[in-house]
Amino acid sequence: MKNARLKDIIKDWRLHAIVFILVCITEAVGQFSFKVGPGVILLLPMVYAFIIGLILFFTPLVSQKTAKNAEPLIVLGVTLLIAKIGVIIGPQIEALIEAGPALLLQEVGNLGTIFLALPVAVWLGFKRESIGMTHSIAREPNVGLIVNKFGFDSPEGRGVMAVYIFGTVFGAVFLGLISGILATTTPLHPLSFAMASGVGSGSMMAAASGSLVAAFPTMENEIIAFAGASNLISLSTGLYMSIFIGLPLTEKLYALMIKRRERRDTEKQGGAPNA
Amino acid sequence: MLKTVWEWTLVLLIFGLSAAFGNWLGYDILPWLAIPGMLILIAISIVGLVLEKVLPGNIPAVGYIGILGILISLPWTPGSEFVVEWTNKISILALATPILAYAGISIGSNWADFRKLGFRSIIVALLVFLGTFIGSALIAEVILRWQGII
Repeated sequence: MKNARLKDIIKDWRLHAIVFILVCITEAVGQFSFKVGPGVILLLPMVYAFIIGLILFFTPLVSQKTAKNAEPLIVLGVTLLIAKIGVIIGPQIEALIEAGPALLLQEVGNLGTIFLALPVAVWLGFKRESIGMTHSIAREPNVGLIVNKFGFDSPEGRGVMAVYIFGTVFGAVFLGLISGILATTTPLHPLSFAMASGVGSGSMMAAASGSLVAAFPTMENEIIAFAGASNLISLSTGLYMSIFIGLPLTEKLYALMIKRRERRDTEKQGGAPNA
Repeated sequence: MLKTVWEWTLVLLIFGLSAAFGNWLGYDILPWLAIPGMLILIAISIVGLVLEKVLPGNIPAVGYIGILGILISLPWTPGSEFVVEWTNKISILALATPILAYAGISIGSNWADFRKLGFRSIIVALLVFLGTFIGSALIAEVILRWQGII
């Protein structure tokens, strides 16, 4: 973010006017949700704003330069979102302390995405996009971290945005489906899944714990309490887990996998032509 | 530095204006009622951005911003009741909408790169959710058993 550029960006009134109008229209339309099985597909104003913004790029309204000017607004706008999350957490500090260190330890489980999704992402041929995609569950704090560190217009930035947008629309319905299926078909206890439901997103937590309650109605209050406390801890520690553990770990593993892949590729090239 | 801080403030004010109107149309909070809360959030962001620049270490601004937000809204912090009351007037979704509007416009310029992510990214996204969920459930199982809760 160079100073000279930031000044030009502030003066790009066309860009800000377009966004202003877009926000007003999409917020006025409001949200829609479709029930699918135990979960819902959520269509939020932010999703329409994203899609219309993208379409506008291909009209004469938005020039290449205007599109470039939008990037720092994203990086700075996300900081407001993180500030807002901070002031949501502060007043609940007592509930967090009460939930205890056990719940905190459980957050380590959120790193599961790295071990499951990163190898597949690399195998599918993703390069540094895979770091943005798989270092976390890609909620707002993680998007903030990636765009803060790598910039929005970077492979990591594209990766995290792809999972973020997908998760915004389909995350709740997907977690709602798999939590019901897994809790009824695996030997793990429903309360373990209740804790797992708290991934750091209100709608996803509601969907995942909702199907648990549907499957185990007698445990309703316990499930909701565990899911809620875990969600709050995920929301408050998720960013720092990513900064200090998730992201460095993903980068390390990625470097290892890429090195192995390159070695294999050179071996292949060096071998007999018909091997 | 001062000039940069001023420019960050201007950018955040422009952003905040769109968010405040979205907050009005989508969540029925009149824009002028959202002003104090928005200014608090902007101030937190600016301080965090400055800290990233002046403090040693490799912690990104968002790390400081999250902590600052928590600190000034703790029940023991003097004046936190105003911070909480004012910022409660701003819906988190109203802040996300302008971000994604800018993101949509910005992604257009590297749409070719983005399109390459394609169908494969849906597979990865599903595994991200599955991995997080199963990983958490496995560790929760161990902890809950160890505590004797289940």
